[in-house]
Amino acid sequence: MSSRFRKFLRLPRRSSSRRRADLDDELRFYFDMRARELMEQGVPEPDARREAVREFGDLDYTKRYCLAEDAMSTREEHRTDLVAELRQDIVHSWRSLRRAPGFALVALVTLALGIGANTAIFSVVNALLLRDLPFRDADRVVRLWGAHSAKPTEHGQISPADFIDFRTRQRSFTGLGAFGYGGGTYIGPNDPVPLSGLRVDANVFSVLGVRPLLGRTFARGEDSAGVTPTILLGYNAWRRVFGADSAIIGVLPPAFFFPTASEAEIYTPLDLTPQLRDVNRARKFHFLGAVGRLKPDVTVAAARADLVAIARQLEREHPEANSGITVSMLGAREAVVGDTRPALLVLLGASALVLLIACANVAGMLLSRAVSRRQELAVRVALGAGRFRLVRQMMTESLVLALCGGVAGVALAVVGSRALVASAGRMLPSTGDIGVDRTVLTVAFFVTVVCGLLFGLIPALSASRGIHLGLKDAGRGSSGGVGRHRLRTALVTGQLALAVVLLVGAGLLVRSLTRLQSIDLGYSLDSALTFEIGLSGQRYATADAEDAFFAQLYDRIGALPGVVAVGGFGSLPLRGGSSASLAIEGRPVPEGKLPEVGYQPISDNLFRAMQIPLERGRMFGPEDREQSPGVVIVSAGAAKQFWPNADAIGARIRLGPNPNDPWSTVVGIAGDVRTGTAGDPRPTVYVSSRQDHWGGAAIVVRTVGDPMALLPAVRREVKALDPALPVVEPRTLRDVQATGLSDHRLPMQLMAAFALLALTLAAVGVYGVMAYSVAARTREIGVRVALGAQPSTVFSMIVRQGLGSAVAGLAIGLAGAAALGGVLTKLLYGVTPTDVPTFVGVAAVLLAVALAACLVPAWRAVRVDPLEALRSE
Amino acid sequence: MTKPPMDLLQGTVDVLILRTLAWEPMHGYGVSRFIRERTEGVLTIESAALYQALHRLERKKWIRAEWGVSENNRRAKYYALTTEGRKQLRAEAATWRTYADAVFKVLEPI
Repeated sequence: MSSRFRKFLRLPRRSSSRRRADLDDELRFYFDMRARELMEQGVPEPDARREAVREFGDLDYTKRYCLAEDAMSTREEHRTDLVAELRQDIVHSWRSLRRAPGFALVALVTLALGIGANTAIFSVVNALLLRDLPFRDADRVVRLWGAHSAKPTEHGQISPADFIDFRTRQRSFTGLGAFGYGGGTYIGPNDPVPLSGLRVDANVFSVLGVRPLLGRTFARGEDSAGVTPTILLGYNAWRRVFGADSAIIGVLPPAFFFPTASEAEIYTPLDLTPQLRDVNRARKFHFLGAVGRLKPDVTVAAARADLVAIARQLEREHPEANSGITVSMLGAREAVVGDTRPALLVLLGASALVLLIACANVAGMLLSRAVSRRQELAVRVALGAGRFRLVRQMMTESLVLALCGGVAGVALAVVGSRALVASAGRMLPSTGDIGVDRTVLTVAFFVTVVCGLLFGLIPALSASRGIHLGLKDAGRGSSGGVGRHRLRTALVTGQLALAVVLLVGAGLLVRSLTRLQSIDLGYSLDSALTFEIGLSGQRYATADAEDAFFAQLYDRIGALPGVVAVGGFGSLPLRGGSSASLAIEGRPVPEGKLPEVGYQPISDNLFRAMQIPLERGRMFGPEDREQSPGVVIVSAGAAKQFWPNADAIGARIRLGPNPNDPWSTVVGIAGDVRTGTAGDPRPTVYVSSRQDHWGGAAIVVRTVGDPMALLPAVRREVKALDPALPVVEPRTLRDVQATGLSDHRLPMQLMAAFALLALTLAAVGVYGVMAYSVAARTREIGVRVALGAQPSTVFSMIVRQGLGSAVAGLAIGLAGAAALGGVLTKLLYGVTPTDVPTFVGVAAVLLAVALAACLVPAWRAVRVDPLEALRSE
Repeated sequence: MTKPPMDLLQGTVDVLILRTLAWEPMHGYGVSRFIRERTEGVLTIESAALYQALHRLERKKWIRAEWGVSENNRRAKYYALTTEGRKQLRAEAATWRTYADAVFKVLEPI
């Protein structure tokens, strides 16, 4: 039998015993024929046979040789068969998809959205949680902060003297490096460009284990006074570069980022000598961050214990400065990713749910399709295709569909992850590249294949079962099997349940964000421009020079058209602000036990510019100068906390660690202001910026109209005063708040998008199953109408059927949401995970959508013409 | 006795078989007899080499095998040239002709 024929009949390949028998037959035929030929020439029979064998040659070898060749042929044949079948399956799948372009398009879009959402979120998870940080042996790198014993995990700063002691006494690290914050200005041909930066000691880069892209990092000794100033550029700063009056000694690699919240563009050496020399500053001024590299066998916990023990020693040795001061520490990954992890994982879970719904949708579509293809399948079975072959064919179709969806999904993810990073703001740490890389592609591929199997297997199995019935009821508008319909209803119910879970999640996040946005911050966000000014250099060395500069700046900006008020303070309250210890005259408290309060130097007009009410007393005025008696304004909260039964005005207080500083008098009480975007207002003490010089200010300009329109004029005024001075981070107050809320907004937006997608898919699912059910019941409905059923009865019958699965899905979904709500806790503000209004709202939305999805099929059922329906039989 | 035939020899056997099967499908015995008669006994292919070649050529898909019924009503395995085999025969025949021409050009003056 020819191999071609065998292929046609799909017979099993020749077995090895069969091949051996064939070869023996073939050779026996030869020997018989040859012997007969010899006998015809007169050789007697036994001799003829012997002669035939003798002259043949090496028989054993030939048999082995031929069998080996035959085995190879069989294997190759089988392989070509498989490849041919696969190609056949793929071509067939492609054709059958093209024959149903509507189905293919809907399925593709569904899958592309599901896979795209997953891939985009996963690309972020990959970049933040999975990919190596840009440090050598990144799991050995830790980040250190100063902390108070009351909040031992807080992320504060460390004092220089403490840091030196940590460095010399520790036994857990191969190295510790310190850094402080401090940027610079690039003065080029155009406007001065502010550069964010860090000052780092010579150890930092070896601790992080980073090699520069160009040049070198800082050498030992380069971080001491009197050496030519040197600069190391971050990759991005280098790309924008210029020359500078410091020597640029190197450029860091593009993937590198420093494990701090804000991105640094330049790095300059950190010299601690002046601070260490000053007794009052060495231990009492906390401004350093630190990084460390653990010794190979030391765990983070052990190293933390080591440092905390040293902090305890320091508390005993320097009670006046170190009481209540300790140190906190996290691995570099934790430090970088921080609070983003729960949000990311929730979003990854949400996108997985969306994908599950998408798969259920496609599975549902395939189920109905399988019904309409029953005849085709039955014909193929009749022609000899086995069940396995049919399942394989249908699975190939699903996989082709899935792969097309996957390709479209990855394309969506490339665009999506870029958009995600762009809109992420502060939520995503600056970890270099977030995008679709090889890991993401691999995972996307596997997800795609699993999807294909998932949504393909059920319809394939269900379609191939009972296929023999197919021919019998061919052409009879068959009802397609009760079981299959039940399967579709179950799929739709599941989809609805998953959609409900996502809707509840989105609802909770939306309500959290609304709560956060409606918090009264204690000042107005409308029409206010803000920017920062940092003075440096010889020109502003004296307090008078600084006062004179700001006085002129406020005059000039205040005179611009549209400006209502302008003022400045140490830092925007939304950025946390500074704190200081507070001592009250007549209430001796041991040093180290002094309460901490928020602390801000402000200009005279700041309250007007911020629209913070002055509740009582007076504002600062020109009479409050460096030499005049110290005056402060306290917030209402501070007044209530520290002078609960007395008038705060007139009381005398001292801020800061130096017991020899003179007392200041409270002259006013201002409204409470929230630092950050949430949380309680912090008790705050304001001092005049003319009595406490910071060498810079966050300026607030209150205007009428669009605050950003004022920016060119503001730049002009600043340039007129000092052409080398950059206007740092100009934006509206509302933008500052929005940035602060970005780690709430982005998860909310994504979750809302996912929920909407889920709801749409579920609605399509409901519509699909109802439309199919009405089509399948046309005859039954026709009979009912013929027997006198009213249109309204038919209508409500269909709607009731549709709402039945919606109610079931809703119940399961709400229960699921209540059970899963806990994972959202960290992302919620002012809302509990089982918030009743959210649940009620979701239930209403879902039922409304399900009802809408039933309407068209129900309307179609009402219009069934009984004559037509019965005749079509 | 015979180990696998030499490459040149193998190639020669192959091309002779292909040429023989180009006439009509034959069984192995038929091929052997045809070559013997056609070359008037100058060329005899050892039957061992012939059968090895047939199975090898089948694996290469230059010929294909089918079981049929012989002249004396016996089950016999018939080999037929495939399209690919015909292509191969044409190529090898051309090579042989060039080779033979070259050899004759050297030998001719005698």
